[in-house]
Amino acid sequence: MTTLSGQPLSEAIGYSFSNANSAPHREHSFYPYTDNGGSTLGITGSDFAILAGDTRSVAGYNINSRYVPKVFKIGGDDETGDGAHIVLSVVGFAADGQALKERLDAVVKMYKYQHGKPMSVRACAQRLSTILYQKRFFPYYVHAILAGLDEEGKGALYSYDPVGSYEREQCRAAGSAASLIMPFLDNQVNFKNQYIPGSGEGHALEPKKAEPLPRETVEQLVRDAFTSAVERHIEVGDGLQMMVITRSGVEEIYYPLKKD
Amino acid sequence: MNHFPEAWGRPRDDVYGAYNPLYLQTTGPKAHTQSPAVTGTSVVAVKFNGGVAIAADNLASYGSLARFTDVKRLRKFGESAIVGFSGDVSDMQYIDRLLESIDIRENYSTNGNTLNAKNLHTYLSKVLYKRRSEFNPLWNHILVAGFDEDKKPFLSSADLLGTTFSAPHLATGFGAHLAIPILRRLFPEETPLESISKDEAVAALRECIKVLWYRDARSLDKYSLAVVTEAGIEIQEDQQVEAQSWAFAEAIKGYGAQVN
Amino acid sequence: MTSIGTGYDLSNSVFSPDGRNFQVEYAVKAVENGGTAIGIRCKDGVVLAVEKIITSKLLKPGSNKRIATVDRHVGIVSAGLVPDGRHFVSRARDEASSWRGVYKGPIPISALSNRLGSYVQAYTLYSSVRPFGVTAIVGGWDSEAELAVDGQVGSGPKSGSGGKVEGAKTGGPGLYMIEPSGLYWGYYGAATGKGRQAAKAELEKLDLSSGTLSLVDGVKEAARIIYVAHEDSKDKEFELEMTWISSLDGPTKGRHEEVPKDLLEEAERAAKRALEGEDEEEDATKGNSNETERMEE
Repeated sequence: MTTLSGQPLSEAIGYSFSNANSAPHREHSFYPYTDNGGSTLGITGSDFAILAGDTRSVAGYNINSRYVPKVFKIGGDDETGDGAHIVLSVVGFAADGQALKERLDAVVKMYKYQHGKPMSVRACAQRLSTILYQKRFFPYYVHAILAGLDEEGKGALYSYDPVGSYEREQCRAAGSAASLIMPFLDNQVNFKNQYIPGSGEGHALEPKKAEPLPRETVEQLVRDAFTSAVERHIEVGDGLQMMVITRSGVEEIYYPLKKD
Repeated sequence: MNHFPEAWGRPRDDVYGAYNPLYLQTTGPKAHTQSPAVTGTSVVAVKFNGGVAIAADNLASYGSLARFTDVKRLRKFGESAIVGFSGDVSDMQYIDRLLESIDIRENYSTNGNTLNAKNLHTYLSKVLYKRRSEFNPLWNHILVAGFDEDKKPFLSSADLLGTTFSAPHLATGFGAHLAIPILRRLFPEETPLESISKDEAVAALRECIKVLWYRDARSLDKYSLAVVTEAGIEIQEDQQVEAQSWAFAEAIKGYGAQVN
Repeated sequence: MTSIGTGYDLSNSVFSPDGRNFQVEYAVKAVENGGTAIGIRCKDGVVLAVEKIITSKLLKPGSNKRIATVDRHVGIVSAGLVPDGRHFVSRARDEASSWRGVYKGPIPISALSNRLGSYVQAYTLYSSVRPFGVTAIVGGWDSEAELAVDGQVGSGPKSGSGGKVEGAKTGGPGLYMIEPSGLYWGYYGAATGKGRQAAKAELEKLDLSSGTLSLVDGVKEAARIIYVAHEDSKDKEFELEMTWISSLDGPTKGRHEEVPKDLLEEAERAAKRALEGEDEEEDATKGNSNETERMEE
């Protein structure tokens, strides 16, 4: 409320003038995110990379659908994704995941059209980080994992937080069952807490050295990780989708999981 | 009248009270939809051999008030797609007009409407996602029924956040809790579509609408039912829940004042 | 045109001393060279037809349509400069869509024609623009049913919406022709383009004002008239393009659509037969003049 000029405040008859600054800020009650659950997992080997995810989509305690893929081929020649050499998994808010996937797919395709050569996984990884960071203050609410083969033909795996911080890793689990799967991976892929028997006593015990694993072993590890996660996490189940990236392309494997 | 021309004609605060500028705010944050106003409840749909059936009741509620009782929540698009709306009715009308304008533009060319239900679903999900990203959501959860590019039955869902998923049977709102279990019992997910007839699908939807009428307080016993097949769309907008049995109500005890 | 070359024909927005706008008259010339276009307002619908001159054998038959759909219930055919016609149609679509945006219903044919007339007229006012090189025929059907509002979800009051008079007749066919000056009239039958004189003569014979011609007969007459109008430019090949808009209970359910292929072909056959019939009559009087014509071809 304003008073009129020159009038002593005590004698002023009040009149209301528009005063925009007095409007209090209101908070939005619309929350633009949801958690669609599920888990993803990536492991690399010396000449391949595997990226996997379950296919359940949830909303609270509801199962939306038993088949909503979280793992996508990026930069393929057509809508089926054939000819792709990069795979992306997204877990968290599925609508953001879908949008992110479509953007990255467009970027990788444009790269090929403009430069006449496929985008390297390293470049794609950096680009994905930029895309995520550009939405730093309204993030894509997803944990992304990107997989492919590096310039030397070795399996390459990059994992991200929702705002674009990323690093190349040997293996990574993301999503609702990440905390269940990751310790299993630490032990079985990076041989954490594994020692060479009889190599010494106490601190002198020699840790078992991590070596790249063969494809069959990794596939089995992925299946085991998921069948176990299904038992202990309600948001994980229905189906397991595995993308195996090798020199000859991307192979997709589907494996049923328990639907309970 | 006083000596302050700028105050002439203004209501005196001591007579009328200070004016609340909130009502006439031209600056400051713009308020978008925070919650829906007039709403429609569940939509249920199921795929069958050669098509998709979809149903929704004819009620639009204003909170707990049954406000409009002849509302058509199943909207036709072209000759082979149906959109079923739950959630805000004014947003539904907006989307319906949007679809109408698209249909008119599609028919500028003489080869007619080329958008199938799958295209329509992709489009609508992007509209919804864009609006949620602007913090100005269209407060709806929709089901799109029709065919994909291979002329296979298509059924998919999209909500106000832009989340999408597809399944052989889908339901929004209360239907996700009450109708899905019925549909799942009748047509387990592994059932091949070929073994579900149109009549079975329609009968199942009628049953679902009946159960929703029993248990969803924001539902109505008058409903619409549409069937999309190769031959076109059959839509009935004046259906009545039949063969009701409220015998079960006798057995419900233990709520409110009555405990035994 | 004795005033040509006096300088008053160089700019739009400049009158000649005797009160003419030469730019507009030149635009009419452009129209007079275009393929004949006609519209017939029938009892239960409207027919639009155009003589599409084939300018090259490399063009795919049946492609490059000349009659455009503007809204569900409106079609436009024009004679004159084709690109001007396209722009005109584009404006018509914007007008129809903006009408829906404001009034939540389809634009009446009269209102659309009025807006388009104003639009065309504006192009006669400024020296920086030239008038439209088209005369357009706007045909459509105003729904006779009680109109649902776009996006309307309820059935409305059982007793009919407010102020409705029981049994009152609303809607019906609409046919307008808009000229480069912006002048437009509503017509029973409209013709423009090269063969307009012959077409008009034929249209006048149809007694359209009595409102008895059915839509299907209208289609046949339209085909015949285009063929008659083509007689004067026989050296050029042409395609007949026809669309129609019927009443809600008619074949197109109030929508603007192409005339179905079989009906179009039937109408074309009938048109050719009618022409041959005339030729025979002429042959009887004029002898072998027809044959010499063919030889020239």
